[in-house]
Amino acid sequence: MTRYILKRLLFALVTLFVIITVVFFLLRLAPGGPFDGERRLPPEIEANLKAAYNLDAPLLLQYGRFMVNLAQGDLGPSFTQKDFDVNALIRAGLPVSLMLGLGALVCALLLGLSIGIVAGLKPGGLLDTLLMAVSNLNIAVPTIVAAPLMVLLFSVTLSWFPGGGADTWWHFVLPALALGLPLSAEIARIMRGGIAETSLEPFVKTAKAKGLKSPRIVFLHLLPAASIPLLSFLGPAMAGLLTGSVVAEQIFDLPGIGRYYVQGALNRDYTLVMGVTIVYSFAILSFNLLVDVAYGLIDPRIRVAQT
Amino acid sequence: MSQTLLSKWTRPALVGFLGLLLLSPFLLPYTVNAKEGVLTIGNAGEPQTLDPHRYNLRLEETLLNDLFLGLTTFNAAGEIVPGAAQSWQTSEDGLTWTFKLRDNLKWSDGQPLTAADFVYASQRLQDPATAASLAYFMYMVKNAPEVNRGELPVSALGVSAPDAQTFVIELSQPYPYLLERLLYPTAFPVPQHVIERHGDDWVKPANWVSNGAYTLADWQPQAFVAMQANPHFYEPVSIQNVRYLPVVNEQSAYNRYRNEELHVIGSFPVGELERVKTNYPNELHLSDLLSMMYLVFNTEKAPFNDSRVRQALSLAIDQDILTDKVLRSGNKPAYSFVPDLIADYQTTPLPHVGKDRAERLQQARELLDSAGYNNPNPLKITLRHVSGVEGKKVNLAITGMWRQIGVVANLQQAELRNHFADLRQGDFDVAWAGWVGENNAEHYLTLLQSDIGNVNYGRFADARFDDMIKTAQQLSSAIQRNQQLAAAEAYVVDAYAVVPLYTVSVRRLVSQKVSGWQNNLRDVHQIRYLSWSD
Amino acid sequence: MKRSSEQFFKSSPLVIVAAALLLLMITGAVLGPVLSPWDGEAMDFEALEAPPSLSHWFGTDLVGRDLFVRTMQGARVSFLVAFIAVTVSLAIGIPWGAAAGLAGGRVDQLMMRIVDGLYCLPGILIVILLVVLFGRNPYLLFAALGAISWLTIARIVRGQTLRLRNAPFIEAARAMGLSTPYILRKHVIPNVIGPVIVYTTLAIPAVILAESFISFLGLGIAEPQTSWGVLVSDGTAAMESSPWMLLFPALCLGITVWSFNTLGDRLRDHLDRREHIN
Repeated sequence: MTRYILKRLLFALVTLFVIITVVFFLLRLAPGGPFDGERRLPPEIEANLKAAYNLDAPLLLQYGRFMVNLAQGDLGPSFTQKDFDVNALIRAGLPVSLMLGLGALVCALLLGLSIGIVAGLKPGGLLDTLLMAVSNLNIAVPTIVAAPLMVLLFSVTLSWFPGGGADTWWHFVLPALALGLPLSAEIARIMRGGIAETSLEPFVKTAKAKGLKSPRIVFLHLLPAASIPLLSFLGPAMAGLLTGSVVAEQIFDLPGIGRYYVQGALNRDYTLVMGVTIVYSFAILSFNLLVDVAYGLIDPRIRVAQT
Repeated sequence: MSQTLLSKWTRPALVGFLGLLLLSPFLLPYTVNAKEGVLTIGNAGEPQTLDPHRYNLRLEETLLNDLFLGLTTFNAAGEIVPGAAQSWQTSEDGLTWTFKLRDNLKWSDGQPLTAADFVYASQRLQDPATAASLAYFMYMVKNAPEVNRGELPVSALGVSAPDAQTFVIELSQPYPYLLERLLYPTAFPVPQHVIERHGDDWVKPANWVSNGAYTLADWQPQAFVAMQANPHFYEPVSIQNVRYLPVVNEQSAYNRYRNEELHVIGSFPVGELERVKTNYPNELHLSDLLSMMYLVFNTEKAPFNDSRVRQALSLAIDQDILTDKVLRSGNKPAYSFVPDLIADYQTTPLPHVGKDRAERLQQARELLDSAGYNNPNPLKITLRHVSGVEGKKVNLAITGMWRQIGVVANLQQAELRNHFADLRQGDFDVAWAGWVGENNAEHYLTLLQSDIGNVNYGRFADARFDDMIKTAQQLSSAIQRNQQLAAAEAYVVDAYAVVPLYTVSVRRLVSQKVSGWQNNLRDVHQIRYLSWSD
Repeated sequence: MKRSSEQFFKSSPLVIVAAALLLLMITGAVLGPVLSPWDGEAMDFEALEAPPSLSHWFGTDLVGRDLFVRTMQGARVSFLVAFIAVTVSLAIGIPWGAAAGLAGGRVDQLMMRIVDGLYCLPGILIVILLVVLFGRNPYLLFAALGAISWLTIARIVRGQTLRLRNAPFIEAARAMGLSTPYILRKHVIPNVIGPVIVYTTLAIPAVILAESFISFLGLGIAEPQTSWGVLVSDGTAAMESSPWMLLFPALCLGITVWSFNTLGDRLRDHLDRREHIN
């Protein structure tokens, strides 16, 4: 088991390293990119950049400097903000994004698991069809449509929630819902499939034959086995959350790092975009590592086979 | 439970993980809660800097007007009144202005504020190391252009402090509007003792010292700028705590205002105007703004160096359609680069104003043709503008109008401060620009002066125009000056360097909890004149 | 085959509804801009932000452009995105999966490791990054969207390839000395085509949503062209005063996505059932 975890950790670190290197060279070599020389930068920004990156040095040396800076946690100066560097901007925005992401995950899991399990226990039944239809609707109404509508309904019309900003945890409920609902639909779909399939397995019939009461069967036997496809989905689910958070932060006026990604893209603040990319990659890889560990705990085949 | 299916760590691990997940929203620490008694204002965007000598944008001016106090300042009605200076005198020839400072002025850290601070500030503004893009605001001071260009040391600047309470400005030529020019942050004093110790970090909240009614308590990028009352300000103020939030999206501003999260907002979707008039009549503040929204051509880039192309593009634009049909929010069409609202001045409208539209379009097509652009070879333009509903509408409509003369235009949008940063760098074809200004024509016309610096975004240069402006600037009589300026405007209008579009009508919402808010032509509302209604 | 197609369509009223709606949307996309007297860029300055009427069936937008035509042009863009992106993803994914499945062993493991690694990356954010660096060419955008979608098809094809590889009739063909390309063409592909069609039907709405997402943020399709994402973004800004600006594009987007998803789901169930029967 330990070996398994260490292997996954190594894999994650290598991937992170590859991503950062690709990001660096993409930034330097892309035509029309920031270091192309075509676009004139405001002098004070240029001064900041030169000081941080020594733009006259050979590329490999710059790469070395970049990695050294990164190892010390320095993400460089911003292309558009004179007074704050990328670290300061991300430091300000990260807690907000974390809050949003976790909130959305909690909402998606709670909702998706409940719907999926209930629907999966009686596949083909009325409840199943109803729940799945509603779930599918969730996917058809993407965040970009649902979020503004939710603001209009719950915030402006009903005044149940604030319209924007991130002052209290109550400010995060609506954004977390808007972000988590499409994800919950996917989770419901997977759980339903997982439960329905696992219910057909012989060991469940055996458990039922043994006379174990139904809820216990569900939670002790079905769930772990049915969760395996869900676990494989959680990795891309996290990616989907990050992607969705970018829009959610814009619509709900949350000062998180997702907004920086878009604004950085629109304003061509390359170091900021790269800084957010690196933070996101780190988050995704850590999350996937956690998923791998959970996988190992749940699926004995993996524990046994991969050591 | 069968042991082979699950490891013995599984259950506790799952419980632990789920528990952590469910509790996590309550465990993360972050941003300060909104407190009672904090005036929360939606500002037009995120400031790029709070250094008064390096500012560029009006939204920064709004903040700086609360943080600092210049020699002159605004009252609640937007009129010019004594600020840090209690009185002033001008010499006979209009070249020497002597300001008497108030007694016992202090910085927010208790240090005395003296005339020497104003000398230091004036020198710092013109110091090339400061790289202030609005340094030209004070070019009328003796030797200022030379100091700014590095040709003379800062000590040569025509400012002096004969004693701690007296500040003297010497001008190189008469400038009757000096009092108005001193209203801008470029003339604000800055704490020498702090800057010498912390360098560029003096603007950080931890080091902040200023002389205004408020000091900088905190600045969370993209989240808020927080200010608190300055205990050493010469007058008491009513409101103790203020927060300015960057709210760029006007729909969001409107939502948050209605939810009572913001006390003041600077704009709301124009489609809501009628509803707001009905539902919030006492909170709506509609007022004209002394301003000019215009298109600027990059005259250094072909084909915009060809005045025929510029003229054609200008002919196709119908300002009335823009204001009456597209914007429909009370903005006024602008037919001349200098706004009509300026007192005692005769503006020169564009030559084609009043002509039949079909005729104008025909003339435009002919001009483009003579410049080499026609159906097989259409003129392709990228029109830059500031992101936002109003910007998009206006500029889309303009591309539609240009389409009628066979021009293919696509739009490029950017956030306010990035848009203007790029404009100052000359990185554009044609761009929307806006200028909010003083009550004199010179403020607008000098934007076309070739040696004014990077606020002449299009780098327009005409020697005769420069001469006419310089001649005007040597006249001390306001009447004569205005006449000369009008002549310069009449001359330069044929060059079509810019296309005036409209002047802004501000539509604000101010909560009934706040009193003391007065509409004015400058839309300046210093917090120290406001108070809570209860 | 024919009987099973009939069975498929009769299996549920939802399938018929979904298919009909899609057909409607495609017809609208193709014929709509042609039939309407307006074109997508003409600005009717007399009717800005006007509600639906006889002259403007879906109303007009901020600057008086006809929304019906714009929405149908958005439909065209969506279908174009779907076509290009799915083609690209098939072009990458099928060879990848087939090669991995056929090669087997360490090569297969490596290729699938790469797929696993890429699977967890937020594809849309990567596309945004590419757009920032390389410019906003719509074809680049569509191809990039395809380039992030090939992973699932690679997995499916690899799975099928593995299955078939060890199937007796393939072994027999091998024993007979038939060449690998021939085996691929005659035996592998017909068996794989089912899951590929299912995948395609399910990938299309994902790609359409991805493009809408990017355009919503202002980083995708640029003015004066339009797409549903751009229309939804504009509509959101005027949601309260001119709800039709949001309603129609959102409805079209939702219907298209729902229809494709429903068809894909049902197709998958149908094929699964056929396999079990077989």
